[in-house]
Amino acid sequence: MKSTITGSISRHERARIVWRQIMKHKMLYLFILPCVVWLLVFCYYPMYGALLAFKDYNYNLGILGSPWVGLKNFREFVRSPEFWMVMKNTVIISGLKLLFGFPAPIILALLLNEVKARKFKRAVQTMSYLPNFVSWVVVVSLMTIIFTPYGGIVNNIRKGFGLDSIFFMGEKAYFYPMVVLSDIWKNAGWGSIIYLSALSGVSQELYEAAMVDGAGHLKCTWHITLPSIKGTIGIMFIFAVGGILNAGFDQVFLLQQPANTQISEILDTFVLKTGLNYGRFEYATAIGLFKSVFAFALMAITNKISDKFMEVSIW
Amino acid sequence: MVFNYIFLALFGFISLYPFWYVLVASLNTGRDFVKGGVYFWPREFTLENFAHAFKDSRIFDSLTISTARTLLGVLLGLFFTALIAYALSIKTLPGKTFFTFFFYFTTIFSGGMIPYYMLLRDMGLTKSFWLYVIPTIFSFFNFLLLRTYFDTIPPELRESAQIDGAGEGKILFRIYLPLSKPVLATLALFIGVGHWNDWFMGAYYQSRAALYPAATLLQKLLGEATASSTIKLGQETNLSAMTSYTSQSLQMAFVMLLTMPIVVVYPFLQKYYVKGVMVGSVKG
Repeated sequence: MKSTITGSISRHERARIVWRQIMKHKMLYLFILPCVVWLLVFCYYPMYGALLAFKDYNYNLGILGSPWVGLKNFREFVRSPEFWMVMKNTVIISGLKLLFGFPAPIILALLLNEVKARKFKRAVQTMSYLPNFVSWVVVVSLMTIIFTPYGGIVNNIRKGFGLDSIFFMGEKAYFYPMVVLSDIWKNAGWGSIIYLSALSGVSQELYEAAMVDGAGHLKCTWHITLPSIKGTIGIMFIFAVGGILNAGFDQVFLLQQPANTQISEILDTFVLKTGLNYGRFEYATAIGLFKSVFAFALMAITNKISDKFMEVSIW
Repeated sequence: MVFNYIFLALFGFISLYPFWYVLVASLNTGRDFVKGGVYFWPREFTLENFAHAFKDSRIFDSLTISTARTLLGVLLGLFFTALIAYALSIKTLPGKTFFTFFFYFTTIFSGGMIPYYMLLRDMGLTKSFWLYVIPTIFSFFNFLLLRTYFDTIPPELRESAQIDGAGEGKILFRIYLPLSKPVLATLALFIGVGHWNDWFMGAYYQSRAALYPAATLLQKLLGEATASSTIKLGQETNLSAMTSYTSQSLQMAFVMLLTMPIVVVYPFLQKYYVKGVMVGSVKG
């Protein structure tokens, strides 16, 4: 029906209707214009700049004028001795965060959900949000002060038990534990918001019915609560897996020390160093591009898998 | 059940205590602090660390820059976000889907750090204060947050205002924005915190050290402190015997100056941003 009506209007006529619609909204286009220009400059132009990855960059020739080298920069990166180290570190750090940091807000939300005293619940929530709002620079500063061997509380307590001081922030063996703990400390409270909101949608009648059937507390959690937030967990998981190559730039960069670079150098910190510290622009751009493409593929694959097995999808 | 309450109380305590510990430490003389044992209350109370922090022109200037960029950033961010969120919340706008995708695409793909740096350098922003304000105006998440809220405002309001002869600007600023105060507060908090906390732009894109914001300066100090503590182990205690404040206690005061504004603001907006996060995550 609809198609016959539009079909009967000439193309010229239709163009005029659209044009009239556009003119009617010209003020709105004016509203959008500054941001469109902004995006073209600050987001789309750097995408064009990413062509650098396929070039042998020469400052005087510019990006377009520099000679094409195909995949040379990518090949160089993949064959370099740093490649496996950086990839391994990135995946290990992300993997540890996925293993420990991912379940933390879910557990926190489940525990908070059980609390009947509203004021207590709110107070705990407010306190747990604070670390999310401060900069990683502040977090790492706090850690430095707390863990310092010179008067820091942790080493003082160790001394009280007759144990030796440990330089937690500098010793290689403590790098991963520090990363995981600070990640949970900073993000678990904030991360619990989304699960709590999903939990608030679970119908109380389900619990009552289950109680009548004689289900215990743990059984209720396992068979009612968790399945009802499955969708939210799934979506968060897709994002977490999609972000595996990120591993948390701010945190890792700020916790990095000369003693631990071998296990703490991740893709993003490596791009920063090769690019901005050593000035190898085209090489660093290639690594960044490699990461973008790889991350996008990861996200798509996880989405596909979770769509198939858990019926959860972000697209 | 009891275990649950104890665990949660402990979690809340652990979230808060590091801040308290450093606050107490910053209110204690540095020389006394390194002896240890100052956990819950200052032993040798002093405001000296804060006084020295304010007297240090590097710290003072960096706090001024952070304040300026935060205020400007929030104002400009809110203004431009409001403009596009309003325009793209109008269902009849031709090209609405195209523009939304045009904005969305930048979240899934970017040119990367180096081309971005080259752009900023070529624009002369790497030598300017505007580095902090102009490249940070737009964020897709903020746009989504506000547009989602605008979508809940009945379109009849706009239509009747139009019949009364109001233009789009008037409708946005006189009707839509006053109705959106909770979301605007959330956005202002997110944008403001982002500006206040950002250390990276200052550290890697800013070539003039005099223009470092506070977070960048703290990052540089942190780098110096950790470098010296690995190289000159144990010298800190000897040094601090001479003056009652140490580089560490000065730094703690600085950390607190960076934390305090956030502590003062965030609890009061809690009921708004909790909703905001939910909206953002459902739609995003």
